[in-house]
Amino acid sequence: MLKSLHVEGTTLLHRLSVRTKLAVLFAASLAVFLTVDPFVLGGAVLLSALVFATVGVSFSQAVSRLAWPLVSIGLVAGATAFFETPVHGLVVLFRFATLILLAATVTASTEVGDFMEEITRLMMPFERLGLVNAADIGLALGLVLRFVPEIATRYESLREAHAARGLPVRPLKMLAPLIILTLKDADMIAMAIDARGLRRH
Amino acid sequence: MSTRDLVLTALFTAIIIVLGIIPPITLAFVPVPITAQSMGVMLAGCIIGAKRGALAYLLLILMVAVGLPVLSGGRGGLAVLAGPTGGYIAGWVVGTFVTGLVAERIVRETQGGARQIAGFFLASIIGGIGVVYLMGTIWLAINTGMGFVAALSANAVFLPGDILKAGIAALAARAVLVGYPLLPQRS
Amino acid sequence: MEIRFADCSIHYGETVALHPLDLVLTERRIGVIGLNGSGKTTFARAINGLVKPSRGHVTVNGLDTSEDGPAVLGTVGFIFQNPQNQLILPIVADDIALGLKSRGVAKAEVAARVEGILMRFGIEHLARRRVHALSGGETQLVAMASVLVTEPDILILDEPTNQLDLKNRKRVIDTLAGLDEAAIVVSHDLSLIESFERVLLFHEGRLIADGMPGDVVKAYEAVALC
Repeated sequence: MLKSLHVEGTTLLHRLSVRTKLAVLFAASLAVFLTVDPFVLGGAVLLSALVFATVGVSFSQAVSRLAWPLVSIGLVAGATAFFETPVHGLVVLFRFATLILLAATVTASTEVGDFMEEITRLMMPFERLGLVNAADIGLALGLVLRFVPEIATRYESLREAHAARGLPVRPLKMLAPLIILTLKDADMIAMAIDARGLRRH
Repeated sequence: MSTRDLVLTALFTAIIIVLGIIPPITLAFVPVPITAQSMGVMLAGCIIGAKRGALAYLLLILMVAVGLPVLSGGRGGLAVLAGPTGGYIAGWVVGTFVTGLVAERIVRETQGGARQIAGFFLASIIGGIGVVYLMGTIWLAINTGMGFVAALSANAVFLPGDILKAGIAALAARAVLVGYPLLPQRS
Repeated sequence: MEIRFADCSIHYGETVALHPLDLVLTERRIGVIGLNGSGKTTFARAINGLVKPSRGHVTVNGLDTSEDGPAVLGTVGFIFQNPQNQLILPIVADDIALGLKSRGVAKAEVAARVEGILMRFGIEHLARRRVHALSGGETQLVAMASVLVTEPDILILDEPTNQLDLKNRKRVIDTLAGLDEAAIVVSHDLSLIESFERVLLFHEGRLIADGMPGDVVKAYEAVALC
């Protein structure tokens, strides 16, 4: 469950630091708005597609990862073409296709753990200002990953309990009990975190 | 932030993720199944309130960003955030906060059931629809050069479904309020 | 070790969970029994400062739970009734390591100590397993490991054999018997505490019997079945 979208590999992109990849992505997100030439932007799409192809994502994986973002930009580009001009629609399509391909490249070539470390580092200035606690972010993320399968199992047993009592299984009816049962554990989990001294630094 | 608030926030993020895994809800009178996850903004705001709800969504977006497939249909990764619909995703955070803010102000544990449901419904409409649409549309209009009104009108397709979701979320939030009240109260 | 309750009482709003109590504990194996709602869990939580006295003091090896909270937490480990709620990271070894990391232990030492504690409990094979997929007995053992890795002097266990099958119950009892640390065990499982040095019986928020297991269990039967 919740298998990361990272793809194993040792390509150049896998070896680049997370910070470099994010910086390039950010720079690209500004650069694509510097031009309105559909030929330049079309070239950018091709280039980023090539870069994406080097990280070792299989074709079926690529389809499942990119389908939804591409459909959504297709719709937006279509609407732009309708309200503005067709060329305008094409510019929008190419701009976002470039960014989506580059973003998917960063995701596929970066491990979750490395990403979290970079985020923790980026949070440091805010931590010094007392706005966030970087260790808390890691703890919260761990908690989510720990309890997603627990809650999914709980949903299953609620469903079975409904079925065993001969009640029609309606997800809607199970929403509130699922949420209540889950949040009721919060006090015990919080007490255990404090008892284990996990938030002392 | 207390440890309890941290845990409630993380557990709600986990609930939102599970709502994206379970089968979509089908209603007799609606042709399209409803993904339970798409009610997350309304549920989070109405159930755990403005601050914790918004943080639960920030945590969810962080997980999307680092490449975990936490959105319904196994979606995730920076590609989801980089698209022209990124404004809606930012809108989830602010929308949850506003939903929570309204709910905390107008829903009281001492009120009758009908008033509580009406309060949650109103909060969900304002935060979960109004704010999310507004932020999504502004982002869309800026990034496509489409006019604001044209971009806004594109949302109209989703409006009936979202109003229905606000109703379902209001019923669920009221059931949770009765069973295990967590919503902070503001005057 | 020395745990001292000095005129300690605990209230939750209007309800009195623990009436004024004076008590000194120095034994290595102490059982705590009583009906549901008798105050035994409150008593146990007061020892590591999860619950603070409303009046009076609780001290552990001279540390006051109200004033030296973090130091007391370092001295007293607590295993909860539902240990699955106590394990908060998805992978067993990561969860055990967390307690050390948050205390600023160096990375290499963390790995060595995690391995050491897993060996001690004979559960090396669980290191990379998902917490979610552990059995009841395994969960209990991992929870004990995650607490003992930080080397507390005293361990408190709340219903450690609750909901375990016979085989896992035996495993937990054997592990408990082999602990060097002092242990205070809250339990409904009377055979678990029959070999202990001292047993306390709570009833309606008061300590009503204190002594050898045989005598205290008799007193428990008298109040429970009247």
